[in-house]
Amino acid sequence: MENYLEIKDLSFSIKNELILNDISFNIKNQGDIVCILGPSGIGKTTILRSIAGLREIDKGAVILNNKILTDKNNFIEPEDRNIALSFQENALFPHYTVEENIKFGIKRSLFCSKNKNGPLKYSMDELLDLFFIPELKNKYPHEISAGQSQRVCLVRSIIHNPDLLLLDEPFSNLDQNLKEKVQENLKEIIKTCKITTIIVTHDKYEAFYLGDYCGILLNKKIVQFDSPYNIHHIPNSQDVVKFFNRGVLVPATVQSHDTLYNEDLGQIKGKLIKNFQSGEKVNLLIQPEDLEHDDSSNLKFQVIDKKFRGTSFIYTLKTPSDLKIPVFVHSHHEHLHHEDEKFGLKTPIYIDHLVCF
Amino acid sequence: MLSQKYLKLPKFNYWLVSSLLISTIVCIPIIVISTSFFGELSGYYELLKDTYLYLYILNTLGLLIGVLIFTFIFGVGSAYLVSFYKFPGSSFFTWALILSFAVPGYIYAYSLTAFFEYFGNLYSILKFIFGDGNYNDYIPRIDSLFGSILSISFSLYVYVYLITRACFIYQSQSQIDAGKNMGFSDYQIFKRILLPSARPGIVAGLSLVAMECVSDFGTVAFFNVQSLTTAIYDSWIIYDDINTAYQLSFFLIFFILVFFTFERKSRGRSRFSIPSRGYLTIQKKVLKGKIKWLAFSLLMILFFLSFIFPVSQMLFWIIKFPSNFNLPQIVDLTINTLQLVVLTTVILISLSFVTNYGMRITESKFLSVITNFSVSGYAIPGIILAVTLLSFISFVSDYFGNENLKLIFIGTIFGLIIAYCVRFYSLAINGIKTGYEKLNKSLDDVSYLMGNSKLGTFVEVHFPFLKKNLILISMLVSIDILKELPLTLILRPYNFDTFATQAYIFASQDMLEFTATPSLFLIFFASLIILTSRKNILKGF
Repeated sequence: MENYLEIKDLSFSIKNELILNDISFNIKNQGDIVCILGPSGIGKTTILRSIAGLREIDKGAVILNNKILTDKNNFIEPEDRNIALSFQENALFPHYTVEENIKFGIKRSLFCSKNKNGPLKYSMDELLDLFFIPELKNKYPHEISAGQSQRVCLVRSIIHNPDLLLLDEPFSNLDQNLKEKVQENLKEIIKTCKITTIIVTHDKYEAFYLGDYCGILLNKKIVQFDSPYNIHHIPNSQDVVKFFNRGVLVPATVQSHDTLYNEDLGQIKGKLIKNFQSGEKVNLLIQPEDLEHDDSSNLKFQVIDKKFRGTSFIYTLKTPSDLKIPVFVHSHHEHLHHEDEKFGLKTPIYIDHLVCF
Repeated sequence: MLSQKYLKLPKFNYWLVSSLLISTIVCIPIIVISTSFFGELSGYYELLKDTYLYLYILNTLGLLIGVLIFTFIFGVGSAYLVSFYKFPGSSFFTWALILSFAVPGYIYAYSLTAFFEYFGNLYSILKFIFGDGNYNDYIPRIDSLFGSILSISFSLYVYVYLITRACFIYQSQSQIDAGKNMGFSDYQIFKRILLPSARPGIVAGLSLVAMECVSDFGTVAFFNVQSLTTAIYDSWIIYDDINTAYQLSFFLIFFILVFFTFERKSRGRSRFSIPSRGYLTIQKKVLKGKIKWLAFSLLMILFFLSFIFPVSQMLFWIIKFPSNFNLPQIVDLTINTLQLVVLTTVILISLSFVTNYGMRITESKFLSVITNFSVSGYAIPGIILAVTLLSFISFVSDYFGNENLKLIFIGTIFGLIIAYCVRFYSLAINGIKTGYEKLNKSLDDVSYLMGNSKLGTFVEVHFPFLKKNLILISMLVSIDILKELPLTLILRPYNFDTFATQAYIFASQDMLEFTATPSLFLIFFASLIILTSRKNILKGF
């Protein structure tokens, strides 16, 4: 089966400085959500603008639903693409009310010949309710908050029932509680109406919740494009590990296809993600949830830091060879450990995915 | 190596071409004057240099300093009172003070002279009240340099008032509260907080005043002040020595360029002084007791002197000499003036829209640079513009041996409109640019993504958003054209007069009371424009 969206070797530069280099990824099914994750200023927004046709690119191709939008010989103007982009900054027309702003989108879904999808299954009022802004219809953009503007922009983008929805940091101005509710409703709308969506964000939890797939943009390239589970548990490079800043790389020696050895932790069992030869020296990724706490264990290390995360504690343990290892413990665990105390680890150590570099 | 950008081919750039054309026309005067300054010196210039040149320069400087002092006091003082205090009439004065913008300096000069001259109106008033007496000896003669300073100050202080007021009302109440918290009195708050932070705006206003002041012709010519503008006019019209006119123009352009640069720099800084969000609106202090009447009286005197006085003088003449009111002539003048105003405004606004829209969608730096250069047309006094455009057209038509060019451009409405466009291009283009700067570029992108073409975006997004700016700019340009004197005087078709030229002709023939009708009609139309767009004017600055 053909891919619904194909991004091929997309490159972009400003004044001969390369910003994006050979960006490629596909979206297989209509209605899938892809999240692009990456640090600020890396070019995530540029990818969206290039797909929308708002940026001239150096080379590459964008193919949507078997139609070439951009390649060496073709360029379809942004207004003829039926792609909606919700901008990170406030992009509401200041001289129109919220309702008039949204009607800009409705008009397209009803009258524009480029839009073959017809109107959305949700009405404007339903969408405003789902995004918790039913009372704003007659207000002007300067009369509403940044978070409200962002949700109005979302409604305006979705309501024209586009072939592709592009969202640039759509929840950056919302508080945590509201953000989660809006995300739930947005996901339901997208899945119900089968609107293929690309979301750009630097919030990995947002990406992991919403995305069917995630792309990690680092060093001008998409360095990993995979399911959220794999992105989290099986990062494919040290750069990705560094970007998530979660876990630590410890030196280890490969003993067999399922065993590693570290001088502080001893033998570590599990499934090696990549093949290594016995005796090879590697760096093993240990994330907080990989090791289990056991008060009765003989393998004990000193606690040097403790972070309370509500549902859990993350203890940082110092090993004799000066490794600093994070360990996740459920916050209801009966023994609280304080700094400088000894903290036991369950042996033998078993980690589902042995991610080594 | 990166591959060439191939996905969008460059198209023929209409915006670039049209801007280039306008800029070229605007550049002509500057180039002509700069080159001629280093050209051959005529005998008349040598004579001037040894005799009156320094007097011209000194007079121009004296005029400038006097006008700057007066406009600063009138403009900043009135802006301070209406921005920070509530007192009887404060809302009225906020817009009423702008009305003095409708009275050109030269009409003010006619009123001053009529009032203070021998056996003038002041004499009549004194005689009416106290009976016969030798009052002439006690009535001060307000004419010459001081008369010019007063006339020009009353007609130009509005620039300082409007821009300073804008700076004052955009200041945050929290600044004032911080001052109070530190124990400052109202005066200390004004001196140490409000005045320094409004400084860029004040400088911008004063620079505009300075540019207009040194290029004034009507007032100084009427008062016989030997300034650079009158010398340019004389050397060209009386001595038929165009080279000397150019050489004198060079001094004037130099003065103006200094102020122009100053103005641009201070404007550039003032952008940062106006916060976009998160500031507290000024809480006006309610004045009580004698102070409130003092504030009222000060602004009433200013309003009276700058607007009521010249208007009542003109009205007095019309009532006193009803036979001077020539209806067919007034109809003619009205048609002539209004057709120039309407045609020029429409053309100018369209040109400015084209260039601004072009700059926005092409993002061309070249276009931006040439447009910036072309706006310097505002810095060229009308009289110089007229002289250089005339001689340029003569030169081109002689060069090509085609007399038709002269017929098209010289002494025609078409030629006059082109000259107006060059002169006021800066006003129009900057006005629309200010509007565009407030319209985020991603809104264009949103519109494209909603399926609108570039034209559709212009019609549905830009035009409704810029409507208020458009009205404001049209009004300002219209008032300026109504008042413009030297350009019209020199370039107008034969037997074609506007209110301004007709009033000037009567005044120069010492038929002062005849100036009343054209002057009053000029003030009437300008006031009408101001009154209908006063909210836009107050918001727009």
